[in-house]
Parts: sequence; structure tokens; C-alpha cells
Amino acid sequence: MGYGMVIDQQLCVGCAACTIACKIENNTPVGFNWCDKITRTSGKFPNVRYEYISTMCNHCDNAPCVAACPTQAMYKDAGTGLTLHDTNKCIGCKACIVACPYGVISINWQRPHRHWAQRDQLAEGCFSPREMLEESGGEGSPHGNPERGTTYPVVRPAGSVEKCTFCDHRLLEGLAPACVDACPSGARQFGDIDDPNSEVSRLVAKHGGQGLREELGTRPRVIYIRDYKPQRRFEPFRPAGEGQGA
Amino acid sequence: MNANVSLRDFATPTWILIAVGLVAGGAVGLYEMFFGHLFATNNALVWTLPLVTYIFLALMSTGISLVLAYGLIMKEEAITRHTRPLLIMAIGILLGGFTALATELGSLLNMVWILLSPNLSSPIWWMGALYSVELVLLAVKLVMDLKGRHGVFDMPLAWGTLVIAAAAAITIGAVFGTVIGRPDYHGAFLSVVTLVSALVSGSAAIVLLRPHSALTETAGRIFRQAALLFAALILVRVAYEAHSTVAGMLGWASIAMLAPFLIAAALLPLAPRLLALLGIVGALWVQYSFIITGQLVSLGQTAHWYGAVQSYQPNIPEALILVLGIAVAAALIKLGEQFLMRGEGRAAT
Ligand code: SF4
Ligand code: SF4
Repeated sequence: MGYGMVIDQQLCVGCAACTIACKIENNTPVGFNWCDKITRTSGKFPNVRYEYISTMCNHCDNAPCVAACPTQAMYKDAGTGLTLHDTNKCIGCKACIVACPYGVISINWQRPHRHWAQRDQLAEGCFSPREMLEESGGEGSPHGNPERGTTYPVVRPAGSVEKCTFCDHRLLEGLAPACVDACPSGARQFGDIDDPNSEVSRLVAKHGGQGLREELGTRPRVIYIRDYKPQRRFEPFRPAGEGQGA
Repeated sequence: MNANVSLRDFATPTWILIAVGLVAGGAVGLYEMFFGHLFATNNALVWTLPLVTYIFLALMSTGISLVLAYGLIMKEEAITRHTRPLLIMAIGILLGGFTALATELGSLLNMVWILLSPNLSSPIWWMGALYSVELVLLAVKLVMDLKGRHGVFDMPLAWGTLVIAAAAAITIGAVFGTVIGRPDYHGAFLSVVTLVSALVSGSAAIVLLRPHSALTETAGRIFRQAALLFAALILVRVAYEAHSTVAGMLGWASIAMLAPFLIAAALLPLAPRLLALLGIVGALWVQYSFIITGQLVSLGQTAHWYGAVQSYQPNIPEALILVLGIAVAAALIKLGEQFLMRGEGRAAT
């Protein structure tokens, strides 16, 4: 059993709904995202190519961040294949950030969401941010999703790193990660990529595909299929099996 | 123990400079630990001048330990006569480095926690463990020296210090050399660089801070050989980077880096302390260059936030952490000399 994600580049429209859904679900502060993007523009007009690659932690099987972490704060969960993080053990040494070849780990240089702790009112008679926070019963911000807190702090402390957990708190409830549910074009598929009969494994078997920077030997669990090409735009309308190579 | 120390001993220009460094750097360090973030970092460039300060001072302390261990093992009287001041220097400089590291980690407790939940595959864990052992070994040697207990344990302790200090310097290189996704870091070469740079800066520190003719001659000889070896290593690196086709490599070495080591090695007898200082500054330059350059290429999504390649200039708070590390080291060395030595052979100030 090991979770993995397949992202169909032909279906991804670059709308960033995944990024926004992740931000809301996981209460990430201003300044970084767990789910983000790489964009690449290449070629010369009129043959210009623009690529949008949705990125997040790849939950690598051979994770350099886990090997580099001196305190085992970054660890592999044997049951799920997820790369997870324990804020209580994190000493903020940033070795994981330097070691991750994908740039997907961020650190809270300051206490995140701290403006919600302020008692100052913007104008006489208004709510202070603190009052709004207390009224909503929120932790760190009135919008903080309390369900996030079942497996990881809703607000991660200053000095601690953080990154995508594949929404492990949702997986426990039998739900898919928030980014998968938010994707309007069904470009993201999620499941047990160690099971050859799962939908994600079938997609990889059918289309090939690869993870990012696989040459480094990290064995990422996020696999990109069907590299985007304009001529493939109408492929779903063709008879099945025709021209489906990755 | 020297009981004849009076308040007047602290009313010197050196102590005033140290106090200014402690106050200015300490204020930044305390602010960083308890109130907010002042350093010029971001999520792609995370190790900056404060971390460089730690590595610079830790390697310098390692170099002093290596020279001392060599002297004890080879029975070089020019070195062994200065065992106590060299131990004080090595301990003071290492603690100065730890101070800079504590501000970088944001808490003193984080430096203890690293030892309590070990990950044996992590070079940073080994670095922390080895430097802790080195500190203990140095402290044990100092206590034994203070109590006048010499004998059967001297040689095993000297060998232990030699092995641990060399391993610690090599492990610092491995912290960077085991990073697979950054071409400017990856490779065993950096462990050789850190080991030799420890010898360069450690022997130079001895020449700079213990101007005694016999010691200056012996430590100066080690410094000159290490500096020439270091220059050769940098030359190899310059040639490698010039011919490298590795994608994403910026290159941290430059021909100009050879100058301080060649000049200092060639002309050391003319102005030993000044040229030793040049060697120390050169070692800091090399360490700064490779630590920063390795992070300048933004990986993955961080390129979107900070640009494909970043530039870095230390800001004033970061520079003050360098001042703090040096001031703590200087203060401890001065205190050690004032309280633990009987007035003879104090370091030059
Ligand atoms: S993508 Fe980075 S953070 Fe995620 S498991 Fe791989 S190395 Fe670790
Ligand atoms: S910052 Fe935290 S999670 Fe990352 S390597 Fe250091 S201790 Fe581990």
C-alpha cells in the first residue's frame, strides 16, 4: 500500500484551483504554498511552448529530505508511503529544504498568521482581529480549517518547516486530497500506486509518464502523464487506443 | 587558576571592542530568537551568513585541535608548551560558532534536541554529535591540564581529538556534498575543502593569536603547507568548473581566491600576523562562496517566487551575527587567559 498521484498534463488547464484548495484546506500562511507550480516558456514565436506543471511534495520513496533530517522530524510513514513531518521534533535546521531537489519545503521564519493575534481595532467600535479569531473559535486565523488539526497543527510554529502531506487527515476519512477534489478538469487522480490494479497504476501503465527529476533516484510518487501537446487537444474524442502514447 | 584578576584588566581596548560586539550581535541574536526574523533569507536561500559564521568558527576550532593533536602526538615542544592556551582558543572559538548556530536555529534547545532524536543517515546529525564529542574532549583535556594530571591518558586523548576533529571537518563538507539536487554542492570534494580549510584557518589563528617565535614558526610552517594545498584545491575546482557541462552549476571557485593563500604562504615570515589574518579572511571567503552559491539556483516552484537564480548580500543583522560569534570566541579566550593562566604567555590582543 502506498499512495501516489497521477497528473494528466493534457487535462490540466493551469487554473490553480489545486493551489487555492490546498491553501484553504491546510491553512498555509502568506508567502508560500504547499501545492504550487512550475511554468516553463520555450521556443520562438510563433512556435512558442508554455508548460504549466502543478507541483507539491512528491512523497519520494527514496526521500533526500528524510535522509538529511537530523532529528527524524521528516519521516516516511511505512503504512501509506507518505513523507510526513513532526513539528515537535523539527529544530529548524533547514537541511530538508536544502536536500529536497524539488523546492517544495517551506519554513516559517516568523510566527504564521500572527496578525490574527492582534488586539488593535482598525477603527473605534470595530472588531479586533483577535476578537474575530476568538468568536470563530479558530486557531491562528478565523479561516483555519480545524480538521487539518487532526494529524498536523493547524498553525505550524515559527522555526518549523512544512510541506504537503497529501492531506493525510482527509485520507484517514476516506477522502481524496483537497487538490484532487478541487480540480475542475479531473487532471489529478489519486490512489494506491503500489497496487497494479488501481486506477492510478492503470493510467501510468497505459500512458507511461514520469516523475520530476527522476534521474536523481528519488522515486517520486507524483507521476505526470500525457505531456501537453496542442495536437492532442482532441484526443479524448478519438477512438480509444489511438495516439495515446505519453 | 589566577586569582589576581582585577576589574582594571577589563578596561582595555580589546575588552571594549568585545563588549560592543557582544551587545550589538547579542541584541540581534536575542531578537531573532524571541521576537522576529531579521536575516536576508527566503524559502530558497535558507543558509546565509549566520550559518557561514558557524562553519567558519567550527572549522577554525577544528584546525587548532588538529595542530595541537599533531604536536602532542609528534611531541613537538613548540606546540605542546602552549597546550593550555591552544585548548582555550579551540574551546572559545567553537563556542563562538555554537552561539552563531543557536541564532540560526532560533533556539539553544534545538541544539540539544538534535542529539536526542538521532537520524544516523543525516550528516547534520553526525556534525552535531562529533562537535559535541570534540567539545567534551577539549574540556576534559583542559581540566586535566589545569589539575596538572598528565600521563597515561595524554596520548589516547590526543589521538581521539585528532580523529574526531578530522571527522568533524569532513562531516561538515558532507552536509553539502551529500545534497543530490544542487550541482554546486554535490560531491566528496567539499569534504576535502572543509578539512584543508580547517587546517588553514586553525593554524593561521594560532599564528595570529599566539605570537611566540617557536610556535609561530611551527604553526606557520603548517599554515604555509596547508595554504598551498588549499590553493591547489581551488585551482582544481576552477578548472573543473570551467569545463563542467553539468546543468545548473554556477561555480563558486575563482582564480582570485588563490591570491590570499599564495601571498600568505609565500610571504608569511615578513608579516606573520597580518598574513595569517589574510589566510583566515581567505578561508572565510571560500566557505562563504560555496555555501551561498549552492543555493542561488532556485529549485522547482521556488523559481516562481524568487527568480531562477538569486543574488545574495548579507544584511546588517547577519553581519552582526558574524561579529557576535567572533566576540563570544574572543571573550572566552580572554577570560580563559585571564583566569586560567598564570600571567605567562597571554595571547596578543
Ligand atoms: S519532494 Fe522533497 S519534500 Fe517531498 S519527499 Fe521528495 S525530497 Fe522530500
Ligand atoms: S528543518 Fe526540521 S524537518 Fe527539516 S531537516 Fe531540520 S529538523 Fe528535519
